Amino acid sequence: VKVSFFETVRYRAPEALPSEWPVPSGSYDPDAGAQAYRAMIERLEYVEELGFDWVSVSEHHYSPRILTPSPIVSAAFIAAHLKRITIALLGPIVPHSNPVRVAEELAMLDTMAQGRLVVGLLRGTANEAMTYDLNPQEARERTDEGMELILRAWTEPQPFGWQGRHFQYRTISIWPRPLQQPHPPTFALGTSRESCEFAARHHLGCGVSYGPFEVMAKATRYYREQCARHGWQPSPEQIVYRANMLVAETDEDAQALLRAQPNQAPFTMRAGVRDAVMTLDSRNIAGEARAPVVSGALPTTFVGSPDTVVEQVRRCREVVGAGVLDLSLHPPGSGDLDPLMRALELFGKKVLPRIREI
Amino acid sequence: VATTGFREGHVEVGGVRIPYADAGQGAPLVHLHGAGGLRLTRAHELLTRQFRVLAFELPEGPAPEHTLALALATLGLDTFNLLGTSIAGAAALALALQEPRRVRALVLESPAAIRPDGRGADLERRLAGLATPTLVLFGTVDDVVPPAMGRVYKALMANCHLVFVYAAGHAIAADRPEAFAEVVADFLERHEAFVISRAQTVIHP
Repeated sequence: VKVSFFETVRYRAPEALPSEWPVPSGSYDPDAGAQAYRAMIERLEYVEELGFDWVSVSEHHYSPRILTPSPIVSAAFIAAHLKRITIALLGPIVPHSNPVRVAEELAMLDTMAQGRLVVGLLRGTANEAMTYDLNPQEARERTDEGMELILRAWTEPQPFGWQGRHFQYRTISIWPRPLQQPHPPTFALGTSRESCEFAARHHLGCGVSYGPFEVMAKATRYYREQCARHGWQPSPEQIVYRANMLVAETDEDAQALLRAQPNQAPFTMRAGVRDAVMTLDSRNIAGEARAPVVSGALPTTFVGSPDTVVEQVRRCREVVGAGVLDLSLHPPGSGDLDPLMRALELFGKKVLPRIREI
Repeated sequence: VATTGFREGHVEVGGVRIPYADAGQGAPLVHLHGAGGLRLTRAHELLTRQFRVLAFELPEGPAPEHTLALALATLGLDTFNLLGTSIAGAAALALALQEPRRVRALVLESPAAIRPDGRGADLERRLAGLATPTLVLFGTVDDVVPPAMGRVYKALMANCHLVFVYAAGHAIAADRPEAFAEVVADFLERHEAFVISRAQTVIHP
């Protein structure tokens, strides 16, 4: 398997923050922010040295939990500092975006980073509906249309117009085009039937996240079935699984870390807002309805000593079929760096070299 | 052809009788149908808000453009806009090449005039000489003619615009009538200037 480090910036708040989401931006500390971005680069230099294949960034808004509202800015900053590692932009929230702009920025970045870019396109998590006033009921359709427009903008050699349902442009002709031709390795991220079908139809990779192996396997199985229907077979590298991992010297230590995890998201929505999201946002796993995650904590699917985790990775490879693991080695929103660095070192030295051939 | 407001008529040219449907007021827009025959859709109705829409049965024979040119003259249509669908794309292009002064603007809906297998090569060679403002539309899920053929027209013709209609198949006007009529009407009214948006986004001014 290939291994990706999920970078969330790790903002360390000097004072306790309000627990409501969105978190008031007045409680942001500019110096703490500057420190977090500086430390991010130091950490990623170490990640590169340990031999991780990718570093991934995501798009989240209105809270310090993951301090990358513009993943393209993060990715460009990282690409400028690190020389070898692949930058996985997982990804722009497509329904929030101007797809033409996304196509342009990703093409620029792929070129500036000398073809080290991997792209994941997605609908976004349920809480992001509040960001930029995205109607959850339109989000799925906007995502599909926006993804298709991004692919078209990358590949169409003549200026063209787009008479969409959600996007309309009379003239599109992007410069630069991506360095990687016809475009960077691209994934449709998500477990939904729609996302898997889109990926299969357009010969893209598929990305699933956080759920237990058996549940994620429903989505990846469906994706592979759809690919077969379209007459092709994805490689293991075209399936990414993003997950939380708690690795410690012993299984007991790892279990203790797990018990210390909060079972609530650090910042929660008001009840009326959460109910509105739950009502308007419909989600599924390979067609089976599931509730949107709005305030719960995300599961941790790898827990244990290096030996245990290696076995879990082996099992994950068999069950989910993912050839790329995109890992948080410590709860993504935590600014507590010491345990993260300990886990990173342990993983990099005692797990990473043993899972390459799985 | 039972769509609201359309009158049925016919015109005779050299013993050939050509039926047509006619509705609306404004600049004439002549439509030449695809392989399915003359069928009026909601898109035709929408276009009658701005144009006099004349949907013709395509005359049979190897060069329908000659017959059509005479038929349109007989009806007093000196200049007109021309919309050719699918297989009628070839006839529409041929008519525009034959009557460049009379065809004010040309719209090709999912044209099958040039095919990936090389059919249409004769016509293709003549396109560089056509200066008529032209809009080529392809549906993104056209399973009859690959939408990528759109770039061939765009590359060859001096004054050509290519627009993809998202989620439409080969029958764009039937699949997304509002989207189709909006871009066609805007293009016919403004030609190349249609790339500059006049859409208003201000709310509660």
